[in-house]
Amino acid sequence: MNYSYLDFLALFGVGGAHPGGLKLTKQLLAEEKVTKQTSLLDVGCGTGQTSAYIAHHYGCSVHALDCNEIVVEKAQQRFSTLKLPIDVKVGDTESLPYPDASFDMIISESVTSFTNIAATIPEFKRTLRPNGVLLAIETVLEQPISDEEKNQIMTFYRFPQLLTEAEWHTAFTHAGFKQIEISTYQPSTDQTDEQHAADFTLSADIDEELLDIMEEHEEITKRYEGKIGYRVFRCS
Amino acid sequence: MSVGQYHSLCQRYRGKAVEIRCNDGKVHRGVIQRVDRNRVYLQPLNRSRNLGGFGYGGYGRYGGGYGYGGWGVALGAIAGIALLSLFFI
Repeated sequence: MNYSYLDFLALFGVGGAHPGGLKLTKQLLAEEKVTKQTSLLDVGCGTGQTSAYIAHHYGCSVHALDCNEIVVEKAQQRFSTLKLPIDVKVGDTESLPYPDASFDMIISESVTSFTNIAATIPEFKRTLRPNGVLLAIETVLEQPISDEEKNQIMTFYRFPQLLTEAEWHTAFTHAGFKQIEISTYQPSTDQTDEQHAADFTLSADIDEELLDIMEEHEEITKRYEGKIGYRVFRCS
Repeated sequence: MSVGQYHSLCQRYRGKAVEIRCNDGKVHRGVIQRVDRNRVYLQPLNRSRNLGGFGYGGYGRYGGGYGYGGWGVALGAIAGIALLSLFFI
């Protein structure tokens, strides 16, 4: 089988598979006004690490969505073990299975980058309430690179596009977001702590070929250090 | 640390990615799947060619070896365990 990077994340069941991990998620949310009344969508929830944290910590209404059935099942397991009332379903960011103006906040943790943003970002806007906030941690192109290099990155991650910060800004503005605040996330090589380390919910049979994906991912992130970077976009 | 202490540390780190250094210098890198009285079982994160640890060894008292449920490392062979800082996008 020809596995993708996202297959790797799903079968290894990597929780917190985004730059900054759970630690960054906590920091970003601490700056927001989240109450018990908040209705929040964790789009591309993966195995549900972020959703579980939010439901547990804030006690608000959390909806979790992912296009991958394997991770949705793993997220369901996590939520039922922790007895958290989170609505989780399989679905597509490009046509979100929710009515207009459903959410006060949408969190996309390295998710939008993997989708066709021309379809996804307007869906975020549609399902957010008028004062709603989109928090997105996404990959950006930091400096011009050759077509060949760009092609390697996009092919490996199956990114439909690889945008600069300015291009992301334009896409958010285009979808109707008025205020876009951008901050840079600098990956650190600090020793991780137990509380914030990625958690793995392994599938029963791990094909050895998936190890090649992990290796190539590590090679690519190393090779393109400084050429690809990460931003937090806060759009309202 | 004693075998008992490594046993409880491995229990605590279940589902986490770790690097285990053994007394013989071998290094095992993987996700902790489970722990029994004598061994910790890892899902490797790399193919054997990059590591001293995988691909040989067998089921010796101080060795490692593939069994049901991943790569088993004898708790008595462990010199140190560290959580891995992995980066994903």
